[in-house]
Amino acid sequence: MRRPANAPTRRRRGPWVRLALLLMLLLYGVPLLWILITSLKSNVEIFANQASVIFKPTLHAYQQIAASGSLGTAMVNSLIIAGGTTLLTTFLGVLTAYGLARYRSQLIWWILGFLILLQMVPQTAEIIPLYHIFAVTGLVNTRLSVVLADSALLLPFAILILRPFFRNIPIEIEEAAAIDGASRLRTFLSVVTPLALNGIVTEAALVFIIAWGEFLYAISLLSNPGDYPVSAVLSQEIGAYNVSWPGLMALAAVGSLPILIVFLMAQRRLASGLSLGAVK
Amino acid sequence: MTAALPAGRRRWRGRHTVLAFVLPGLLYLLLLGLYPLVNLVQMSLSDVTARNIASSAWSLVGLHNFSRVLASPSFAATVPNTLIFVAIVFVLGMAGGLAGAVALESPGWLSQVVLGLMVFIWAMPPVVLGGIWKFILLPQGLANAVAGWFGVNHASDPILWLVWRPFALLSVAVVNGWAIIPFGTLVYRAALMDVPKEILEAAAIDGASPWQQFLRIKFPILRPVTLILAVLTLVYAFRSFDFIYVMTYGGPGVSTSTVPFYSYLESFAQFRFGLGAAVAVLTVLVVAVLSVVYVRATRGAEGG
Repeated sequence: MRRPANAPTRRRRGPWVRLALLLMLLLYGVPLLWILITSLKSNVEIFANQASVIFKPTLHAYQQIAASGSLGTAMVNSLIIAGGTTLLTTFLGVLTAYGLARYRSQLIWWILGFLILLQMVPQTAEIIPLYHIFAVTGLVNTRLSVVLADSALLLPFAILILRPFFRNIPIEIEEAAAIDGASRLRTFLSVVTPLALNGIVTEAALVFIIAWGEFLYAISLLSNPGDYPVSAVLSQEIGAYNVSWPGLMALAAVGSLPILIVFLMAQRRLASGLSLGAVK
Repeated sequence: MTAALPAGRRRWRGRHTVLAFVLPGLLYLLLLGLYPLVNLVQMSLSDVTARNIASSAWSLVGLHNFSRVLASPSFAATVPNTLIFVAIVFVLGMAGGLAGAVALESPGWLSQVVLGLMVFIWAMPPVVLGGIWKFILLPQGLANAVAGWFGVNHASDPILWLVWRPFALLSVAVVNGWAIIPFGTLVYRAALMDVPKEILEAAAIDGASPWQQFLRIKFPILRPVTLILAVLTLVYAFRSFDFIYVMTYGGPGVSTSTVPFYSYLESFAQFRFGLGAAVAVLTVLVVAVLSVVYVRATRGAEGG
């Protein structure tokens, strides 16, 4: 009676499932579409009718943000902060996760518990002392301070994501390399890391995405708007009086392009990483 | 077992070389993760303002900050705000996540599109999502236009989603719940894919309805993952900052401020860092309890 493994096992989907999927499509598709639609409107159109769907599209908002020059600076700042955070977090995360995957002791639960606690501490609690620490050390108002703070925020998460990938590598492979005379570091670099590459790419993509969107540390540690990443610029402009919504949404759309690129390159990995517990 | 291994292999499995790999990361976290928390406690017991935040010359004031905070009517208002906010995000995130995962089980292009869409929404910067929802919820925005189609209100008498007091907290919480549903969906979807197909087929042959299959087979299998997801969703809701900051900045008044958000306002809007630190210490205690629950849940799931 066994069917082939890949034969469809379910009957046609019922009307409720179809309805639920359409509802999800609307609830998650319309806001994204609304960002694009709003960015293509003129300020006059917004003033007359924010909810209009039929209008004459214009690239005015995009031309305006391109002409102001601040977009390029913000994008570069975002790349420095999110890129720097991804490099530092991945470097430290890979080493630590490997060590923790191979470490056998009751102490492991205390270390994992410590990582989980750090991952759960509200950013609003960490930023108060971090501001003080960076002020005392003179690092405040530098993008480096944001990279350091973001890495501290994301490192526990990175280690917890990476550890299962290292645990899945059989220790016998390493022992075979050791018998052939390779040192532990050499084995780690040339045998273990390539086998865990899938996990490392997943972790790096998740960290980059979260660091790109982070703005609490950025607005708190940086006082010069010229150092702001795109997320911080957006957070300030949304709260301003007389917001130009088309301009804001054009900025949001352009500022989200790197996220779209990462998404298109790593969609499946993101889905699997998320199911490992990657809450933002 | 270990004794039977040759000396080289025993060293390989030993702990000392492994510690060298763990050290840099752990030191980093002790320095910029744990030490700040110690520092936070110190600040909560000291008189720290904009004047002396950049120095360490603080005068100890004992529990003065805590007694001031606990006597403050603003803080008192943020506690029920937090409970309501967390409850809404939690219920939406868990129920929506499960419903989404069950709906996505059906094969077809629509499921694929919705799945991709949800991963993308998770990946989008929260500031962008909060921004578009603020625009949608403006008096002349899309939300009121849709409400108008259903005859709920008139254009001349718009619903002030982010201004009217009870509404504002609900609106921000619902948008936050909306933002976390994709996470729950993906976690539940992965767990549902682990349900053995053979068992479901056998149950179907024995005449079990899809509802019975869900209740008797899938739901028990989903229980451990539900506990883990529940803690993560609670923590997410409790930590929430981005959406509140972007959509209402905690206002009007403190009507959309949660306790963690209030600790931010005290510190970085009022520059009363000592008071903010006292509130923040309370928030850390809350997540400390939740992290213990989480460790126990994951330890059970990993079987270690």
